[in-house]
Amino acid sequence: MLTHDTSHLDYFRLLAQSKRYDYSACTRTLRLAVLADAAVPQLVPLLKVLLAHKGIKADIYLAEYDSIELDVFNEHSHLYAHRPDAIMILNSTNALRLKYYRQSAARATFGEAVAARLANLWDTIQHHSSAIVIQSNYVLPYERQFGNFDHKVPDAFYPLVLTLNAKISEMIRARSNVLVNDVEALASYVGRKHWCDERLWTLCKAFCSLDHLPLLAQNSVDILLSTAGHVIKCVVLDLDNTLWGGVIGDDGMEGIAIAPDGEGEPFQRFQHYLLELKRRGIVLAVCSKNDHATALEPFRSHPEMVLREEDIAVFAANWNPKPDNIRYIRETLNIGFDSMVFLDDNVFERQLVRQELPEVIVPELPEDPSEYVRTIAELNLFEVATFSEEDRRRADLYRDNARRQVFAATVTDIGEYLRSLDMQVCMKRFDAFHLPRIAQLIQRSNQFNLTTRRYNLAECEAMMNNDAEYLPMYVKLSDVFGDNGLISVVVLRKQLPELVVDTWLMSCRVLARGVEQYAMNQVVAFAKAQACERVVGTYIPTPKNGMVREFFGQFGFEKVGEAADGTSVWHLDVSAYQAPAVYMREIT
Amino acid sequence: MKESDIRTRLNSIFQDVFDDDSIQVFDAMTAKDVEEWDSLNHINLIVAVERAFGVRFTTKEVTNLANVGEFIALIGSKLS
Repeated sequence: MLTHDTSHLDYFRLLAQSKRYDYSACTRTLRLAVLADAAVPQLVPLLKVLLAHKGIKADIYLAEYDSIELDVFNEHSHLYAHRPDAIMILNSTNALRLKYYRQSAARATFGEAVAARLANLWDTIQHHSSAIVIQSNYVLPYERQFGNFDHKVPDAFYPLVLTLNAKISEMIRARSNVLVNDVEALASYVGRKHWCDERLWTLCKAFCSLDHLPLLAQNSVDILLSTAGHVIKCVVLDLDNTLWGGVIGDDGMEGIAIAPDGEGEPFQRFQHYLLELKRRGIVLAVCSKNDHATALEPFRSHPEMVLREEDIAVFAANWNPKPDNIRYIRETLNIGFDSMVFLDDNVFERQLVRQELPEVIVPELPEDPSEYVRTIAELNLFEVATFSEEDRRRADLYRDNARRQVFAATVTDIGEYLRSLDMQVCMKRFDAFHLPRIAQLIQRSNQFNLTTRRYNLAECEAMMNNDAEYLPMYVKLSDVFGDNGLISVVVLRKQLPELVVDTWLMSCRVLARGVEQYAMNQVVAFAKAQACERVVGTYIPTPKNGMVREFFGQFGFEKVGEAADGTSVWHLDVSAYQAPAVYMREIT
Repeated sequence: MKESDIRTRLNSIFQDVFDDDSIQVFDAMTAKDVEEWDSLNHINLIVAVERAFGVRFTTKEVTNLANVGEFIALIGSKLS
C-alpha cells in the first residue's frame, strides 16, 4: 500500500533505491518464489525494495524463464527447496496468444484446458508446500478478430481470455491456498495500449513495459503484505472540505455543500465510498478542528448526509493538534498506527501528521474533491487476504468497544464493571464455518500473540482435521454492548505427557476482560482430560508483542529457559494450577 | 544536440544503469567491456536512453547495434 501517491512508482528510481537500500533495518523475512511464462528478472529488485519499505526482507527465488511446470511438478525442484511462504505465478497474454495460434484445432476447449492446467498447478503446489499461491489473471488482448462480433464467437482470442479470467476467479474462490493477482485490472487502468511494450517482448520476452513494472510490483506487494497481516483497519477523516464543502463553524448547516448535485456531489459520492468501506469492515473515525457539538450536528440532522453518527467509531472534534487526536483514536480502538489512514484536504495538517506519526498513511488529496475517490482508489489501501461475514460487522464492533471504554471510565470497581457487562463466552474446536475468520485473526494479530505463527487457511484446515495431534480452539465473546464475535485462537498440540501451547493470540479489542483467564482454565481442563501432566508455553518476541512477555508467568508457569533472541519456554504443573476468577457465563 | 553532448549524457546513463561512476564510454565499447552488461541491463539501458532523450528505437535498430559509437550515431539520427 502506498503512503502518499503513485509518483514514487518509477522504475529507475526504485531500481537505484534497491541497490542502496539498508536491508538490515528489516525486522521480518518473507520467502518468495516467482514463476512466469515471460521474463521478469526486472521485477525482483522492485519487490525487494517495496517490501523493505514495510520492514520485510524478501528472500526471492526467481525461476528460469518459462519453467513453471518443471518447478511445480518436480517435488525436488529449486522451488520447493526454497521453502517459499508465497509463490507468485505470472502468466502473460503474449505467451498465451502464441499457444492459441499454434493450436488451430480444439480451440473450443482451449480455454478450459488452460484453466485445468492452472488448477492442476495450484493443487500440486498445495500437495508439496503450504505456500500461498498468488496467481495472475490474463491481460485482455487488444486485437478483436471479428471486431464487435467477437462476442458471438466464443473461441476467438479476446472472448476466450474474458471467459478464462472469469473461470480463474471462480476456481480461486473455491480454494483456500490461492489468491488472484489482478494484473488485468492494472493493465486496463493504465490502458492495454500502453501496458505491454511489444519490442521488449520481441527482444527478451518481457512481461510488460518497464514503465508499468513498478505498478505490478506494488500490486503484488499489496497482496503479500495483506497475507502477512499488514492491513488497514481505520480511516481517520477530517470534516470541513473533506467530508463536506465549506466550514460548518462558519457556513452553518444550510451553508455546507453536501447535496447530490452541484458543488456537494463530490462530497456525497465520497461519503458513499466511505460508507462502503465501513460496510466491509473498515472503521471510520473523525478528527476535526471544530466544536464537538457543531461538528456532530450534520451527522445527526443534515438530511443529505450519508454518514451518520453511528457510522463513526470515535469522534474527536476539538481544538487539540491532530496528531494528539489520532493518538487518542488509536488508543481507543487499540490498533497500530500503521493500520491507520488519515484523510485531510489541508496540506499543513497532512504534513504535521506525517512528521509526528510517520507510520500513519497520509495520502495526498487532489485540490478538486471530485477526484477524491479516484485518488484514494489508486493507492489500493484496503487489500485483504481473507473476508468473513464477521468483517461486515467489524466497524460496529469497534464502535461498541469505544463505548465500553467510555462506560468503563465511569465505574470504579473492576469486578463490578466486568459483571455489569454480562459477558457470554464459548471455546470450541475449529470448524469449517469459522475457518476464514480464524485464519484472518492469525494473520492480523500482532500485539497479543505469543508465538506469531502465521498459519494460512489451508494450514488451519489441516489442523482442524488432525484430531490425533491438535486441539485447535477458538473463543467467541458477547456482552451487553453487542457481539464481539470470534476474538481469540488457542492452538494446542498433544505430546503426552505434555500439552503444548503452539499458538495463543487474542484481539486487542477484548483486552482486560478476563477472556485469557477463562481460556487458560479451559486449557488446563483439556490437559487433565487428555491425561497430560504439564502445559508447555513458548513466548517468541517480535517488535510488537512485548505486552505478553510475562503472559505465562501470571498463571503460575515457571520459566525453564530463555534463548539469546528472547524466546522463553514455560512449564505449568497441571496439578498445581490455581484457577483465576472469571466474570463470564459459558454458553454452548 | 551536439555529438559531444549526447556522449556526455549517455555516459552518465551508463554510470547509472551499471551503478559504476568510473565507467567511461568509448566508440568501440561493447557488452564485453562491462562486466554488468547482461541481457537484463541491456534492456534497462535501452529504455533509460529512450526516456532521457525522448526517442524511440525499433526492434531492428536495437538488435543491430554493434557498439557504443553506433548507439551515439543512432541517438543523433533520431534527434535530428
